[in-house]
Amino acid sequence: MKKKLPLAGALRSKAFTLVVLLVILVALFTVLASVNNTRFFTARTFIGILSDLAVPSFLAIGAGCLIVSGNIDLSQASVGAMAGVILAVGISWWQIPWWGAIVLAIAASAAAGLLNAVIVNELGIAPFVTTLAISSVIKGITMLLSTDPGNILVSSIAFTTPATDAIAAASFGDIPATAIVMVAAFIVYGLMLAKTKLGKSIYLIGCNRVAARLSGLGEKKISYFLFINCSALGGVSGVILSLRSKQGTMLALQSDQFTGVTAAILGGISFSGGSGGMGGAFMGLLVIKTFNKGMMIADSNTYLTFVLSGVLLIAALTMDYVSVRRQRKRAGA
Amino acid sequence: MEYLEFRNVGKAFPGVVALDGVSFTARAGKVVALLGENGAGKSTLLKILSADIKADTGKVVLSGKELSFSSTAQAINAGISVIYQERQLIPAMSVMENVFIGELPVKNGLVDFNRLFLDTKAIIDKFGLPIDPEATVMSLPVAYQQMVEIMKAYRRDCLVIAFDEPTAPLTDTEIDILFNIIRQLKEAGKIIIYVSHRIREIFQITDEIAVLKDGRLVKTLTTPETDQQELISAMVGRDIGDTYASLDRNGEPGSVVLEVDNLCTDAVDNVSFTLRAGEIVGFAGLVGAGRTEVARAIFGADRILSGEIRLGGGSVRFKTPRDAIKAGIALCPEDRKEQGLVLWASIRDNICMPVLHKLKKLIFLDGAAQDRLTQAAVEKYSIRTPSLWKRALELSGGNQQKVILGRWTSDEVATRVLILDEPTKGIDIGTKAEIYQLVCDFAKRGVGVIFISSELTEVINVADRIIVMHNGHITGEVARQDATEEKVLSLAMLS
Repeated sequence: MKKKLPLAGALRSKAFTLVVLLVILVALFTVLASVNNTRFFTARTFIGILSDLAVPSFLAIGAGCLIVSGNIDLSQASVGAMAGVILAVGISWWQIPWWGAIVLAIAASAAAGLLNAVIVNELGIAPFVTTLAISSVIKGITMLLSTDPGNILVSSIAFTTPATDAIAAASFGDIPATAIVMVAAFIVYGLMLAKTKLGKSIYLIGCNRVAARLSGLGEKKISYFLFINCSALGGVSGVILSLRSKQGTMLALQSDQFTGVTAAILGGISFSGGSGGMGGAFMGLLVIKTFNKGMMIADSNTYLTFVLSGVLLIAALTMDYVSVRRQRKRAGA
Repeated sequence: MEYLEFRNVGKAFPGVVALDGVSFTARAGKVVALLGENGAGKSTLLKILSADIKADTGKVVLSGKELSFSSTAQAINAGISVIYQERQLIPAMSVMENVFIGELPVKNGLVDFNRLFLDTKAIIDKFGLPIDPEATVMSLPVAYQQMVEIMKAYRRDCLVIAFDEPTAPLTDTEIDILFNIIRQLKEAGKIIIYVSHRIREIFQITDEIAVLKDGRLVKTLTTPETDQQELISAMVGRDIGDTYASLDRNGEPGSVVLEVDNLCTDAVDNVSFTLRAGEIVGFAGLVGAGRTEVARAIFGADRILSGEIRLGGGSVRFKTPRDAIKAGIALCPEDRKEQGLVLWASIRDNICMPVLHKLKKLIFLDGAAQDRLTQAAVEKYSIRTPSLWKRALELSGGNQQKVILGRWTSDEVATRVLILDEPTKGIDIGTKAEIYQLVCDFAKRGVGVIFISSELTEVINVADRIIVMHNGHITGEVARQDATEEKVLSLAMLS
């Protein structure tokens, strides 16, 4: 029995395409930056990119796993903002210990995921609509939480404790601790998807939910897990952002609203479910953030960054579309 | 005289030659059968005809003019209609809109629904069908949906109409309706190509037969001048003898393994029966009689309203298929591609699916164990594939069915009751015989088998007992020794 050549597979994989894209971006920005008399290719830039990654990486992991199973969650970033606000409000207004506030923030996020899962699985409402609606609900709750006893909406709630400050500042050499946690999370979730029964089941459910159910894969339980996981990880990214900025704000993660989903799709996790993996999601995120950082250093206009981000996504999806079509043609389907 | 000629048509896919220099001619007013086992190249030929794929060599000629289309739409406009098993209808739209899709009658810039209704009604009456032009397609039974597809081709006044296994989802009465329509089309001077596995139908409806095997044209025959034996040996390349008589059956069923008492669901009413270990119980009936629903209820896939199910003596009621599988019930669902297989996943994943939890090393899946299990199933069922990694969608229908059977056979799943829902639908004769024997092997190992089939000959010859259903009720039970097609059919059509 012939096994697939590992190298050939790697060359054709989405992650490889993204590595090429990344090299092109780095080269491009190095040139652009030198035109502007600044430097792109520095250790500082890369450490900067790495720490920029930490917050959205948890969004990408959660969204990625969920999309592989053929679902989607658009409420993730709102949930993250809520978690950040709960952390800040918990410490500075409710006077609960910092660890209690973190636990509460993540638990509330997980609860939002549970709510998504119940609506999607029990009421049979499309995940797209469900999570959009829940996102709105969460935004409202976050505003309510940000309203102080004098009935004034506080846009950013500062907090400080020695422990949270220490966590925010923790690093190994030049590399921030959060970056290390992020890499560890990618590895753990990557192994889960690629090597465990749960991971295999997620792919099979993403490919054909009915067949998976009739083969006893327990698709409902897994769907619950993935929604809760996605929201809880949204909470983690909100908490990390809050810890770093020493404040909680209902406006947090606004610009990262779709970063998780975008990175996953860019990295080859197809919207139709059942394909892609954590390596691709990581590379997708890396491309997005390198791009943003590069645009910043090259001192381009903000509007241009937005326009080009959109173009980048369309380009990646086109590549995905073409390769899927070629595959289908080859398979004669 | 109009004619359609395939001239030396060849097509290769990576790893397989699907068609190798096929030439034959279909004439107006004749029905030409394309006969062959799965993978013989029939579907590829139809896809070339409809311009879905391009031939590598050769050409297709319609009445002296070479056809070359760059899209299926062009082929349709040129009067070529291929009616596939997968119906190409818009389910939420009405019958009349589907029939006239693309050419809705217009008056003053708006759709003229009056004319649309009348024109559609005229076609429906010509076919002699009780269909409401305004009904949505999805509200119709599968058979009538197929008729809508045919009406679409008729409305376009297509000269060439090709049917790809049109009777697969139909019951015998519905097949009669279809054949009447085909005869009408024939009299109207159409060129008709008819792809089927069912030998009996070929003798009923066709005038000429082109037999394909492994991408080559083996023989062309005139229907009245040939017989079943000649066709089968041309198709299979050998004489397969009497399939049913040569089955190695389980002589003595054991004790009762499954008892169903007064089972009621949304679709079935007061169904009671018993199944012994090592016994094959057939379920016959028309499409929609409730056979699939009985299976799904037992399997925990549909909600049970009332009634009792006892497995090995103990009362059970499964909330999910997962619970049923744990208790030893296995289901090969009716729709192989939609419900049975994960088409884009490998053979290995498809076979290991229900037992993944037993194929672990610590927390990770054990690749070697999965390989072993898959290899064992591939050998046991002679699944023809170059690799365990091949995607399920690249296999022929027969091999796909064997993959699903392979799922329930390993030592890791203790299957006590196996439910097969239309296990041979769309499968060629050679593979059917293999599957019948595999089913008997399950029985010999002491598994109780429920065998649901719409093919009468098959169900009365494979099963030990036949339970007949009509409209959600059991209307009778016949032992194999006493079973005749007439007897079973009269129970199935009881009103």
